[in-house]
Amino acid sequence: MMVSYNELQALSRKAFLGIGFSEAQADDAADMVCWMESHELNGLVELNQALQRILAEDNRDKSPELLYQDADLAIIDGHDMSVLQCSHLPLELAFAKARARGLGVLKIRHCRQRQLIMGYLARLASRGMNITALWRHAQTPLTEQVVGFRANSTVPSIRIYTLEEIPDENKLNTGITVIMANHVDLLPTMRSDYSYDLLARHEESELLEVEVRRRASGDGFDVPSSLWDQLKTLAQRTFVESFEGSQLGAGPLD
Amino acid sequence: MLDSATLNTLAIRPPGVVMDLERLGSLTASRLSFSRSLLRQMARQRWQIQRERFELDEDGFGQTIYRLQTPNGRYHVVIFSHPLSDDQRSDRVTAEAWDLTFGLVEGDVEEALMCSLAENLPLQEAGRQNPQLLVISRANKSTRNFDAFVTALSRGQQPSIDDLKSAGYLYRTTAVYGNGKFGIKDYSRLSDNPDFRQPFAAQMIAVYVLRQFSIDQLEHIAARRAPGTAVPLSDAIQRYVGIGNSTGLGMAPFLINHPLLINQWIYCREQALALAKANLPDEAARDRLVALCERAQQYYLESQIEDKDQVERNSTLLEELAHVTAWLQQMPAESTLWYQLTEWGEAALSLETQELLNSLLIEIYPESVDPLEDEMSVEEVQDLIPDMPLIQLKQIIETQFDWALSQDLTDPDERYWFWYRSIEKEEPRLGVRGVDQGEEKEIALAIGPRVQQVYRLLESYLEANPTGVAVDFLLEHSRVVDVVRRIQSMSNTAYGEIRGNLWHRELRPMHLLRTKLSFLGAGRFDPRGDRWVRVTFFQGAPSIAELNAEPADLSGFDDWSFALAPHQT
Repeated sequence: MMVSYNELQALSRKAFLGIGFSEAQADDAADMVCWMESHELNGLVELNQALQRILAEDNRDKSPELLYQDADLAIIDGHDMSVLQCSHLPLELAFAKARARGLGVLKIRHCRQRQLIMGYLARLASRGMNITALWRHAQTPLTEQVVGFRANSTVPSIRIYTLEEIPDENKLNTGITVIMANHVDLLPTMRSDYSYDLLARHEESELLEVEVRRRASGDGFDVPSSLWDQLKTLAQRTFVESFEGSQLGAGPLD
Repeated sequence: MLDSATLNTLAIRPPGVVMDLERLGSLTASRLSFSRSLLRQMARQRWQIQRERFELDEDGFGQTIYRLQTPNGRYHVVIFSHPLSDDQRSDRVTAEAWDLTFGLVEGDVEEALMCSLAENLPLQEAGRQNPQLLVISRANKSTRNFDAFVTALSRGQQPSIDDLKSAGYLYRTTAVYGNGKFGIKDYSRLSDNPDFRQPFAAQMIAVYVLRQFSIDQLEHIAARRAPGTAVPLSDAIQRYVGIGNSTGLGMAPFLINHPLLINQWIYCREQALALAKANLPDEAARDRLVALCERAQQYYLESQIEDKDQVERNSTLLEELAHVTAWLQQMPAESTLWYQLTEWGEAALSLETQELLNSLLIEIYPESVDPLEDEMSVEEVQDLIPDMPLIQLKQIIETQFDWALSQDLTDPDERYWFWYRSIEKEEPRLGVRGVDQGEEKEIALAIGPRVQQVYRLLESYLEANPTGVAVDFLLEHSRVVDVVRRIQSMSNTAYGEIRGNLWHRELRPMHLLRTKLSFLGAGRFDPRGDRWVRVTFFQGAPSIAELNAEPADLSGFDDWSFALAPHQT
């Protein structure tokens, strides 16, 4: 079914609140999903995966754990949560470090649906930060993704590639590394001693075109009914059932 | 936007005065209100509105389409009028059927779209609406007014306008949805369209056209009932017909959830007032203000309101307006006249009269004030400043949120209510804490208590971490990120936060509703208890025929505030 940006954002937000996210987590998570989907980067697919995982596990009492930090670097354990739950404050921490020191590095270990992090990176880039993020999708074949935002740009450059030669260290890696620089561009340029096979390449210009086209057309999003229904069900957790006299809480009957 | 040097020389009122909830609940519409600025824009740009389809049966049921042509685009207002039994007619958001449903469509209405609209518009929230729609809404008849008007016209007589003094309309809307609701178009897609540069412009356009439909439908029914005898409604009465709106708590969250936008509206109004007062008074301006006071006086005399409190407020206002008029007539038009007037007002007059006078002062200086109508919109982004020193965050709370810190939340009266959303169409409601169900699902509308919570946490965190920054604190207290973000975002603004405790036993939610309604341009404020209100839009406004005639005198066209009843013989 077709839904508007505003509807997807509002219902996702309520659904996240229904799951137990904090107000800010719910706001940010909904924005991340909508940003991804409005740039045709499979936001809804990622959202669906995130929901299934979040609902299968009880993450209510979990929060990202700060394992180490110094002036330039922070390492966080995401405890296998979705980046929708565990990334916004660590990213703000890295942002603060980069502003103070010129460059900040953040490693979030053990996190899921890492694609969605682009939605929050876009927000940080719009605040004048250059950003690169790297993560590995799979071990066989070894697939990596690099995303780079230029400061004040609304869209990234993205590269996804497989490496033909597998490095010695190739354990399961569900982490993500983010580098932020105040003054230096960090866009991905494919140069490596390893030979690689480029699977996907999105230039800034191409994603900008998507942005402009969608803006002009005013098209909504095609959301699978099952996902929409699930969001509605989760959102209902935040509403109060009718009880005797509850309508009086909105004023006298007409 | 004014430069800072000009701003410093203007006597802009402080937020402690302006943002008091009771004062906000005393605001009246002004020339910066959206219904007023919309009509100015329509006239200036020579918008044309034509009835394109009018397929109604003898009882007025069927389909109607009005076409709007602006310099930038073409739009249509599509209206479906339906039979409705009296027991189905309800203004509550929980209603499922209405006398009519309508929508504003961007572009042309092809037959396929019309079919989709016919299927879904009457369902409102329960339908899937088309993304070509910019607004959807519904309205119920004022059956008393409507029936009396049809009867009179069909007898060849003009109706008595007495009933329009209590309900100034034939139809009242019960919700007007925009911005992507239920599948309609997102307003972010309209940001480059100059037809919609004002907030709520699309909603106001739809409601203005509905007013014309209410008259067209009325005349049609009368003509079908008594062919050859029925007469059209006189031009004077047409002008006196507005469109009603019935509003409840559903409007309240908007005021809290859009602090940057509210800041912008109030900042513009306060600038307008300061600019108006900075004008040197002369005899003509004083006479104009006296004339407006007299018009307002007559308007309130004619208004028939049921609510006891509002009747009392209006009667005080009437008494005080007589004093104000006498005062103005006796005072020389010296350079400090406007300052003397407002200073006296603050000391001696009720809030209702003070704010009415402020609206009238704004009214007499269009050249100073009208450019502000282009500044009523703002991009609403609240970002965290993660490296803000906590000592600075604490200082911002102490200086800008002192009103929140002063709330004694140990007093049961200060935490009496909680806000929640009902499962019935997500309607916001108030529950009594400790008594009603749903407290665990409270929605975070009361900002004061949350700021206070952050302040307490901050004090304790700062003891151990005196040089900490915001993000350090938030990593330990992640559930207050939204409040910290809000405090930081509002730190450069003056007027975004409403200074009242929304939990307080004595809270009057009506004040919240009136704040927004005054900016929309509502008049004839008629509360039903403290959580429901009926108001009237566009009463006294020029008709579509007057707009289509491309008025040469734009200031005359714009002079329709405080509509007075036409004389009847």
